[in-house]
Amino acid sequence: MPWNPGDDVISVQRGPRPGGAGGAYRAFGETLRGLKTTFARVLEGPITIQYPEEKVPVYPRFRGRHRLHRFEDTGLEKCVGCSLCAAACPADCIRVVAAENTPELRVSAGERYAAVYEINLSRCIFCGYCEVACPFDAITMGNDYEMSDYNRSDLIFTKEMLLAEPFDRAPLRAEGE
Amino acid sequence: MTQLILFKDIDEPGLATLEVYQRRGGYEGMRKALGMSRDQLIAELEASGLRGRGGAGFSMGKKASFIPKGTMDKYLVCNADESEPGTFKDRELMQKCPHMLIEGMIIAAYAVGANRAFIYIRGEYELQAQILERALEEARGQGYIGEDILGSGHSMTLWLHRGAGAYICGEETALLDSLEGKRGNPRLKPPFPANQGLFQGPTLINNVETLATVPHIIRMGGEEYAKLGTPGSTGTKLVSVSGNVRNPGNFEIELGTPAREIIYGLAGGPHEGREVKFWFPGGSSSPVLLPKDLDLPYDFDSMAKAGSMLGSGAIIVIDDANSVVDVALKTAKFYRHESCGKCTPCREGTNWTVRMLERIDSGEATPMDLDIMASVQEQIIGNCLCVLGDAMAMPVGSMIAKFREEFEAHIEAARERNDALTTAVAPPEALIQGAVA
Amino acid sequence: MPRPETRMVTLSIDGREVTAPENVMLVDGAKYGDVEIPVFCYEPKLGAPVGACRMCLVEIEGIPKLQTACSTPVKDGMVVHTQTARVHAAQEAIVEFLLINHPLDCPVCDKGGECPLQDISFGWGGGRSRFIEPKRHFQKPLALSPLIAIDRERCILCYRCVRFSQEIAEDYQLVLQERAAHTFVATFDGHPYVAPFSGNIIELCPVGALTSQPYRFRARPWDIEGSGSVCTLCPAQCNVNFTVRDERVLRVLARDHAEVDDGWLCDKGRFAYQAVHVDERITRPMIRDGGELRPVSWERALEHAASALGRAQARVGAIAGGETTNEEGFLLQRLVREVLLSNDVDSRAGGSLSLDLHRALGAPAAQATVSDLEFADAVLVLDCEPVDDAPILDLRIRKGVRRRRVELAVATSRPSSLDPNARLRVRFAPGCAEAFLLALEAAIGTAAGEPRREEVARLAQAAGADAGAVHALADLLTTSGDDVVVLWGERVTGGERGEYAGRALLNVAGRLGLRDRDGAGLLCVPAGTNGRGLAEAGVLPNAGPGLSEVEEAGRDAAGIAAAVAAGDLVALYLLHTDPLRDLPNRGAWEAALDRASLVVAHAAFLTEGIRAHADVVFPAESYAEKEGTVTHPDGRLQRLRPAIGHQGETRAEWQVLAELARRLGRDLGVHTGPMATDQLVAAVPFYAGITLDELGGKGLRWPAREAASAFPAPATAGPFELEPPAPAPAPNGRLRLGTFRSIWAAPEVEVSPALKFLHPRQRAELSPADAQRLKLFPGDRVTVGSDGHSVSAIVALRDGAPEGTVFLETAIPEDSASLLEGPLVEVRKA
Repeated sequence: MPWNPGDDVISVQRGPRPGGAGGAYRAFGETLRGLKTTFARVLEGPITIQYPEEKVPVYPRFRGRHRLHRFEDTGLEKCVGCSLCAAACPADCIRVVAAENTPELRVSAGERYAAVYEINLSRCIFCGYCEVACPFDAITMGNDYEMSDYNRSDLIFTKEMLLAEPFDRAPLRAEGE
Repeated sequence: MTQLILFKDIDEPGLATLEVYQRRGGYEGMRKALGMSRDQLIAELEASGLRGRGGAGFSMGKKASFIPKGTMDKYLVCNADESEPGTFKDRELMQKCPHMLIEGMIIAAYAVGANRAFIYIRGEYELQAQILERALEEARGQGYIGEDILGSGHSMTLWLHRGAGAYICGEETALLDSLEGKRGNPRLKPPFPANQGLFQGPTLINNVETLATVPHIIRMGGEEYAKLGTPGSTGTKLVSVSGNVRNPGNFEIELGTPAREIIYGLAGGPHEGREVKFWFPGGSSSPVLLPKDLDLPYDFDSMAKAGSMLGSGAIIVIDDANSVVDVALKTAKFYRHESCGKCTPCREGTNWTVRMLERIDSGEATPMDLDIMASVQEQIIGNCLCVLGDAMAMPVGSMIAKFREEFEAHIEAARERNDALTTAVAPPEALIQGAVA
Repeated sequence: MPRPETRMVTLSIDGREVTAPENVMLVDGAKYGDVEIPVFCYEPKLGAPVGACRMCLVEIEGIPKLQTACSTPVKDGMVVHTQTARVHAAQEAIVEFLLINHPLDCPVCDKGGECPLQDISFGWGGGRSRFIEPKRHFQKPLALSPLIAIDRERCILCYRCVRFSQEIAEDYQLVLQERAAHTFVATFDGHPYVAPFSGNIIELCPVGALTSQPYRFRARPWDIEGSGSVCTLCPAQCNVNFTVRDERVLRVLARDHAEVDDGWLCDKGRFAYQAVHVDERITRPMIRDGGELRPVSWERALEHAASALGRAQARVGAIAGGETTNEEGFLLQRLVREVLLSNDVDSRAGGSLSLDLHRALGAPAAQATVSDLEFADAVLVLDCEPVDDAPILDLRIRKGVRRRRVELAVATSRPSSLDPNARLRVRFAPGCAEAFLLALEAAIGTAAGEPRREEVARLAQAAGADAGAVHALADLLTTSGDDVVVLWGERVTGGERGEYAGRALLNVAGRLGLRDRDGAGLLCVPAGTNGRGLAEAGVLPNAGPGLSEVEEAGRDAAGIAAAVAAGDLVALYLLHTDPLRDLPNRGAWEAALDRASLVVAHAAFLTEGIRAHADVVFPAESYAEKEGTVTHPDGRLQRLRPAIGHQGETRAEWQVLAELARRLGRDLGVHTGPMATDQLVAAVPFYAGITLDELGGKGLRWPAREAASAFPAPATAGPFELEPPAPAPAPNGRLRLGTFRSIWAAPEVEVSPALKFLHPRQRAELSPADAQRLKLFPGDRVTVGSDGHSVSAIVALRDGAPEGTVFLETAIPEDSASLLEGPLVEVRKA
């Protein structure tokens, strides 16, 4: 008995065969239709951004280079060296060595502070988990994305570098932009 | 009229002396008991149906029968650390008739074969301790305490130990720890004191009133004694009535007497123009009862059925001039202060309850806090190491349940008062402008 | 006392059938069915449960109230529910209660990440708190001691630390003060909690209330790696777990081994790890150049040592210190015997014993184990102070006495910290163990009906002991039960008469029937950590590996010193030892070291003997870097595993020994650590077949293996005929000199920043009566002298010290008692 495809048959729409009116349309008509977009863009003029002279503004929630923060009133570091960011980091690029505050040397508000705080930015995947993990909002993701360097070791950012006010290199996108 | 047993001669002058006590038939029970066998004695106690008068209401005879037989060091301890608020029956008993307790202890020690007995008396009872010491001296002089008592072959020593003022040391295992010289913290049960009590030896521990009843039971016979009271709660009971009544004091009643008769009859009822608002039937740790419960017979089972307990038999009457919030706060504060701190629910729960009640009192609470507080009481009840946590949670919980409207009204009133105060304190604007000008 | 048999019972937990040993608590029983019941206060090691935290409430069918699983033993047919709404509500309630006063400062808390309170709050808590009032506040952090910080806000009052102090260490220093919500843990009278075992409370604490000061803020649990090994700072050889971060040991935790340490550690074991990373440590080879030790390259140090040893050929004496592993000892004796062709190698401080006695004392049949101390009917502590010599055994004995009513007798010269726990205390004159043991043997005979009462009196007098007490001891040992364990210090067999004292000990053991009895026997506390292993590896002048006969016996340690001083030997090889510290008779050793033309030392620290006399110093590995095996005094071989890489230029000792042999013209055939182990196992018949894999993490007792039958039998195992000993010298106005080595007398303690404050200075322990006679008061400075030598010391009164005796410390850098010869000394006020 011959096989009856029944409901399994899917009909495929095929294009016109070459030659004839259909073929001509396919050769020229469709091509012109595609070129319409191209010519239309020509009229708009160039939109290339002249990086690094010009920069694309980033969105407020863009996850760029990290920043460590201080309390505005006391100037103490917010980071207490709890290492939760290091625990959360999937790329294992954060290293924290804590130490104890003394009355003579008070660095943070809690009992402990981060004596060493390093982020290896060549490893960082900018996932922002460190920011989420931080119980004191001491680390946030900034909007700086220009971090290239000539030396891998220069990409290990120390606590001082992370605490410093960054240069305003990446413009922030304004409200509604 | 109730047949008086413990208080029959209580106001006899000089009853605290051996001479008067013996003239009034004292130490006869002991003589009779020493002639009986130990099993007979315990059978007699069980037949009497005597239930512990300290608060838990466990059968005294059964407890005595749990003490293992054998020649090991066994102990008898009298719990005279009467610290339940509202309870003062043992004080009167020890002060006026110390020999009755001593006689009861000799019989009980003989019954369980304990050679060392202690009376752990509350630290604040200095006068009573002195009276007891004197009575003990007399009893020792008569040979009632010492080697081979009256030729019975039974020897015992009896010491009086004064506590240092902790409510928790009225809990039997904490009392034992304290008696051993440790921090008075309750122990985990089991093992029960009957197996491993004082210095790890089998220990019978009973309340003053329970032990003081023993000579009478022996004298009357257990069957005879069991005829008093109700079948589940035999005999008579000392009741300490206090609070808003005209005639507070200790009364001996037959168990099963209606509570109304005690409060209105013996204690004279509330003062002129006042009504009973609620009452604690068994010390401050029992859930409160309402005036509608006043006609219940005052015995162990009826009180339990009404959702409360007979406890130590201390009735505290609160009249309608008092705020339930005040009573709850005072109760909770007492238990917070007296918690030993060993187990979590009691240590933290009592503290939390007081803090919440303080907020309610000062008007910084919302009705939602009442729900939290009620649930905290539920979290405490049944989860503690000993009953101290329950002792706070039950009355406070019952007050919230039964007087919730009043709590809510109190919160509302206190808040309005606070608002009024803050507005009143703010200086009028005109005054400020005037000052500037 | 036979160990209780375990019967299994079957119960139902959460609907699954669980088979658990009878009488274990429900919390532990549930683990057999993979059910976890949360606990805070429950810790089986602390003894009976207290039921304080109420975290473990469960529902048991047939019991109306919820029950604490920590205090309810499992019973056949019990039906338990841990997952009902009621149980959940109770557990959530307890967590809520516990957290209302907890500061939740987890980010700064050292416990964060390994905190049971965090875990249980997460697993069993309700996840919210309705408590809005201010929390309880305490001043924080406070130093409970220089080693422990206490944060009372975090404390959940589980009582573990207090129970440890009161029921395990029995120092009674920690107490609870105040009541109710104001309760807090404090020390009695506010003194710092300084005790030999205080550090254990850090590990016991289920929250961050008690934290280690040296570990404070050093690392978080996800920064670190754990590495199991064995502590080699004393013969107890506790199992430890090193916490390592960035190739540095930051902490030492106990690695619970019921047959060794029972899960506790002493403070030396817990904090002396700091010595691994201090500047004082030698991490480069050094050569004496112009009178000064100067760092040089390995090549130069090895070449120098090899050529000088080659010149000294056969005139070399070698001493191995207690921390030497079996493999190092084995290679050392190969180097000395096979390559340098000398016989002079020793590892014992107290002088040599006959090979037969070594075999008789070490025989597997007479060997008791550590856990036997706990299950014995009676324990005799003989001339050793467990808390100083092998601290963890002190806790084990206390446990036996407290929980199993072991009858404890202490027979020592110096009063022991176990005295209050002992049923009987007998004191004898220092160094008179022989006479005492003879008296004891005669007294046991008397107890058996022999007419030897006069002999006992005479011998007891010779030992300076009370004859009545000796009789009482004999009664105690013979009547309390068959399982008697004698814990004896190596001190017994030290000195000139050590051989005879050893025989007397065997006679006593024979009398008590300790041989061939499980649960009874002898347990020696050697002077050095690996004393037993070194003897078995052949580091003895008169025995080769496996206590085999040697063709020609060499000199013992004292003989080596004398021979070097006399010029018969010219070179000394010191493996992990500084004779001025570790060996008696400092005067003789100073003379020897002065005279020696070559001193080669493996050392980790420049102790005085090394600093002044060593010509070549090889940096020694620390125990955290070592690979190899050590043998516990009860015959358990345990494996050391490297936790960190070698610090500085340090090299493994086996490597250095093999390299020296190679340069001297002989290949020992050792290229890796395990190859050394293989050679050792092949050379010691009763170790036969042991592999490192078999040792694993828990070690292996060779006396319990079949190969133990290969242990060389002694010619006679006793009883020995012994002549009466010389009587103890009469003081005649002077004092008898007894010595002891404090638990804190170790170079590791001296250099560890945290432990430094405990490092001992010389003190003269006197009985109050002697002090009164000499008009001395505690704290007075005195000079103790004999025959022209004298040391300076501070008077300390010791209750229970025998009259007419003064006890001085050895193994300390200054004023060590090893300078004095004794046996009588004069004490004068300085």
